[in-house]
Amino acid sequence: MSLAGRVAYREELTRLAHQHPEIVCLEADLGGAKHPFQEAFPDRFYNLGIAEAAAVDCATAIALNGYTPFFSTFAPFAVLRSAESIKLSLAYMGANIKVVAPYAGVAGGWFGTTHHCLEDFAVIRSFPGIRILAPYGEEETREMVRLMVGTPGPFYMRLGRNGAYASLDGERDSHGIVWQGGSDQGVCLVSAGEMGTVAVLAAREQRGDLAHAHLCMLDQPALEIAAQAIAARCHTVLVVEEHRPMGGIGSALALLMPDCRVHSFNCGEKWPNSGGSHEEVLESLGFSTAALLEKIDTLTAAMA
Amino acid sequence: MAAPNPAIVQLQKKVRQTIVDLGATPTGCHVGGSLSVADILIAAFISSDREQGDEVVLSKGHAAAGLYAVMHHMDMLPEDPAVGYGRRGSILTGHPNHKIPGIRFSTGSLGHGVAYAVGWALARKLKGDRRRGLVVAGDGELQEGLCWEAFQLASAQRLGNFVVVIDRNGGQNDGAVDDISPLENLDKRFESFGFRVETLDGHDIDALSARIVAHDLTGDRPLAIIAETVKGKGIPAIENNPACHYVVLKPAMAQKWKESMA
Repeated sequence: MSLAGRVAYREELTRLAHQHPEIVCLEADLGGAKHPFQEAFPDRFYNLGIAEAAAVDCATAIALNGYTPFFSTFAPFAVLRSAESIKLSLAYMGANIKVVAPYAGVAGGWFGTTHHCLEDFAVIRSFPGIRILAPYGEEETREMVRLMVGTPGPFYMRLGRNGAYASLDGERDSHGIVWQGGSDQGVCLVSAGEMGTVAVLAAREQRGDLAHAHLCMLDQPALEIAAQAIAARCHTVLVVEEHRPMGGIGSALALLMPDCRVHSFNCGEKWPNSGGSHEEVLESLGFSTAALLEKIDTLTAAMA
Repeated sequence: MAAPNPAIVQLQKKVRQTIVDLGATPTGCHVGGSLSVADILIAAFISSDREQGDEVVLSKGHAAAGLYAVMHHMDMLPEDPAVGYGRRGSILTGHPNHKIPGIRFSTGSLGHGVAYAVGWALARKLKGDRRRGLVVAGDGELQEGLCWEAFQLASAQRLGNFVVVIDRNGGQNDGAVDDISPLENLDKRFESFGFRVETLDGHDIDALSARIVAHDLTGDRPLAIIAETVKGKGIPAIENNPACHYVVLKPAMAQKWKESMA
């Protein structure tokens, strides 16, 4: 059985902390009352309270003292409340801080607009020097936690809420891209993030063996590599992402793949201000399997 | 009160001359706040052993000229900052940055330096040596909510090794703090946050140093020193004049100001 990404993160970080005394776990009162790291290593766990910018700033000094701070809180607060601290500490000063952000996109479902974050890629990608991860499923999340522990430097990792997915099988190239089947002549679906991947998998069930490139590393250097790899295989690309069109992965790849046709299936410009499950709120934004299939069919028809 | 230490008096004078020189560079600098904070910075560095793990952060980064002048005359910055300050290619920017040897944190966006120093104290407590995280903040800067997030944290984490010194010069960019967003009962505000609080003459280096050193770093309560200062301190023509916040001086005026120093 798979675990939700945020649960897998906590478990993997706690497991790694046995061999890594430099890991310090920071939360801003949204880590849950029985955080496994707190139970295993109470001396290296800090709930800093509801003070996100101060937490990132504190993490800066903690990192400069030789520790590896992981700071986690919901994406809207991690990214938007702390945006300037992330710019200065992670990007400009290059502090060895790992920001882990569940509740990205509209994973908060009925919680409403304040608890959604369809802007995180746009904000974080605009700060050079931060590696950006968006894993799909338990195994990939654990792998990315291991990558962060083993790699000095700043990271941002986007996670969902309670969705528990089995990570993808398939050919994973040396840059972490998972390739799935498909004819290279048709539309190539590029998935970024948890629900982008869910949507692509659902579409592939309906429309046969479309080519699929799953990306979980989304910073500019990683996308430059991905763009080359995708362009070598496909000409028409549809990026699927739980994000706004502005500043998303689709817009980034469009600039990086000038010889290809890059399209985007995303959450548009509406505010996610109605209740419902994660999937229902996505649907209210036009992000549904049916809408994705329609987009794929339109692109396929245009290619004929 | 004991007679002032002649070496300190000499240091104060050299620092103030360099701040005036920085005001006479092509870009000019934040002269008023640099002159008000200079003695606090001297006291902070005298009281700290950074090689052993103490850290001093200037959070009111717009007083970079004051920091550079103090670091230069206390042998932490070899070059005369007035030579390169603000010029093309120089790392001596108008707000301190971490690329300058001896400066760990880039400051100037107000409030962050307070939280960096709280984090420093937290990290040293975690290490077990409880070396000091000391931050010098402006009084206008306390209008930033981030400062109070960080003070709250220092208190919640029982960081006796956190010290904040407020340069209470009463001025800010657009005028007087009292006219813009006053800080009434500042001492009580800190007390209610769980701090030990002391109000001192911000130009009495011996008193400031003595209070910083006397503070019990192993205790649970952080220390706030409200340092009463004079904006433009040492230059009679501009003392307490809000217009001296940012100044671009002509060389002849700089010379006149330096000659007017006591």
